[in-house]
Amino acid sequence: MKNRKNAIPWLYSLPAFLLIGIVIVFPIIYTAYISLTNMNLYHWNDFHLIGLGNYKRALLKADSGFLSAVGVTLVWTAVNMGVQMVVAYFIALGLNAEGLKLNRVYKTLLMFPWAMPAYVSILLWKVCMFNTEFGLLNKVVTALGGVKLNYLSENVPAFLACTVLNLWMALPFMIMMIDGALQSVDISLYESAMMEGAGFWQKTFHITLPCIRPIIAPSAIMTVFTTFKQFDIIYLLTKQKGSLTGATLQTIITYAHENAFVSNNYGLSSAVSILIFGIIILFSVFTNRGLREENS
Amino acid sequence: MKKIVSSILCGCMAAGLAAGCGEAPGEQQRASLDEGAVSETEKGQESEGIHLKIWHDGDEAIMSTMEKDVNEMLEEEGIRVSFEKKTALTDQLKLYGTDEVNGPDMYFYAHDSLGMLAEMGILAPISDVSDTAALNGELNKMTLEAVEYKDTQYMVPVYFETLLFLYNKGLWEGEVPDSTDELYAYMEAHTDTDAGTYGVVNQHSTAYNVAPFINGFGGFIMDKEGNPGLNQAQTIEAVTYNQKFAALQADGDYNTVTTLFNEGKAAAIIGGPWLVSGIKDAGIDLGIKSLSDFTLPNGKALAPFSGVQGVGVLKQSAESKGDAVEKVLKALASEKVGVDLVVNNNCASANEKVYENSDVAANEMVLNIKKTADTARPMPNIPQMSVMWGPAEAFLAAVNKSNADISAAAEEFQQEAVTAISDIQ
Repeated sequence: MKNRKNAIPWLYSLPAFLLIGIVIVFPIIYTAYISLTNMNLYHWNDFHLIGLGNYKRALLKADSGFLSAVGVTLVWTAVNMGVQMVVAYFIALGLNAEGLKLNRVYKTLLMFPWAMPAYVSILLWKVCMFNTEFGLLNKVVTALGGVKLNYLSENVPAFLACTVLNLWMALPFMIMMIDGALQSVDISLYESAMMEGAGFWQKTFHITLPCIRPIIAPSAIMTVFTTFKQFDIIYLLTKQKGSLTGATLQTIITYAHENAFVSNNYGLSSAVSILIFGIIILFSVFTNRGLREENS
Repeated sequence: MKKIVSSILCGCMAAGLAAGCGEAPGEQQRASLDEGAVSETEKGQESEGIHLKIWHDGDEAIMSTMEKDVNEMLEEEGIRVSFEKKTALTDQLKLYGTDEVNGPDMYFYAHDSLGMLAEMGILAPISDVSDTAALNGELNKMTLEAVEYKDTQYMVPVYFETLLFLYNKGLWEGEVPDSTDELYAYMEAHTDTDAGTYGVVNQHSTAYNVAPFINGFGGFIMDKEGNPGLNQAQTIEAVTYNQKFAALQADGDYNTVTTLFNEGKAAAIIGGPWLVSGIKDAGIDLGIKSLSDFTLPNGKALAPFSGVQGVGVLKQSAESKGDAVEKVLKALASEKVGVDLVVNNNCASANEKVYENSDVAANEMVLNIKKTADTARPMPNIPQMSVMWGPAEAFLAAVNKSNADISAAAEEFQQEAVTAISDIQ
């Protein structure tokens, strides 16, 4: 009877487990298997196990570019997350300011970038903002008497351009989450603090941030992962086939893409993918542990 | 009650997982009929005719011309072809190249991915289905050279493309020069980058568009043995020469340069026949000159790459439908298809006899492409070329857009190319 009771939840969950197994677990296991083989153009149907050779190539070859791609990815994630959280926080604060009129209109407008397909947004920015001939930025620069600039031709300006675009695309989500969280903070806390003579920063650090942290944390983690594995902004702005801009920015996902789809070396690219998967899992374990400790 | 409903829902979900594994309606019936009825099926197939699928990733209008002609020519034989568009064709062929049920019988594509597909073992040599000596009799030598990989012909060339010098007759002042130095002098005199007006624009950091200079200087992007040539002295000389042109050609992006030309802000563009429909739509009075009519400072003509579009045969179709495939290949290589491609689609046919036709002789664009074929070099079709475009274009972009030192960049991207080539193995 007890065994039957124990089995029932598993039985109910079985279809979902099957689905997850087929859609998520099997591809990961198969990718791990391919990463241990020499599957490439010359061994398309007759590939065989070669051990950890592909991992060695990905990690240890000085010119493989993988390690520098990891570095760029970490900087990209840190910069984007830092700026995103701060900017979104202040915009959300502004939207919650007492006496602000038409705040629903502003909120709707701020959501607009989120509603647009990423591919469209990126190409619009590439042509309408950053293009040397037709872009708004150069129109303004030349109208002010300056010379035309190429914003995507070198790594630092290209990194900044990608960051600005990522902010434009990602801010609506963060603003919405922080805006919602701010509305849940008990106003009486601020009233008491004001009576005690607390200023803006004291209220921010001692009331607002501690109160909204449990709500913001999951969305921040989600955004960290999205930013970490960001591909389309960097690829479409700087690395699109046939229109390279001169910048050589490479994140681990663009690196994996180049290995998988350009070199046709599926063994090596699977090894890179499994390494990325490992990094993300590690990242996830640490952030979840941090959250759990914080909550307890 | 809840338990019953939950159990039913679980059962439905589990059954749903296997839904795609079911047989198509009538399949079971067909399967039972199949046993012991092979001869009947064969007879039925003969009476219904043979249908061959050709996958492509090109212009629908061009495919439609070929499909119509081939189906008319083979109607009496009971053979019908259908051209099906598949984006990212080479990726699709990787997935379905050996799939007899879902894959194509043939594919129609540019010749430069030939080596990759041949190495994967999914293509049949043309000699397996046809007598190549008879089939190739009227075909252009350059195009035949392009479709050979390791001394084996894997495609039948149908038409070819090269870059051309396209100019706006309403904007161009005087005669189009015959040397690249004079062309540069014209560009200097007619370019105002601040105002956004240009003499000549080109995709100056795209390897395909800079190849006329590199090949003309005697350099190479990749040789026949698969060695990259970015750090060759002649390649560096060509890239250095191209750099001064690039400074007067906007950012060199495809969309930018085509828009500049179509909006009348550039007097000329170096581009392929695929630009012509957009140019015509923009109402531009188009003039065309072959790139082989321009001489470089070393006295040699510009030598662009040529891209040969042809049809290849998948192994399983060569084995099971060899006779029908042979007839389709002959039809596609025929004079009739060639003439119609010129007249309807401005495609330069690979069939030499086509150029005796009076309608073809009046087609300025096609004649210029044909003329350029004299100096054009077929794009390399070895598998290594698939990873060579990236380093070559990164090299050009570094030089033309990021002002990198040419020699240092040549060494850096040569090394990158060597690594990329070793990575495919």
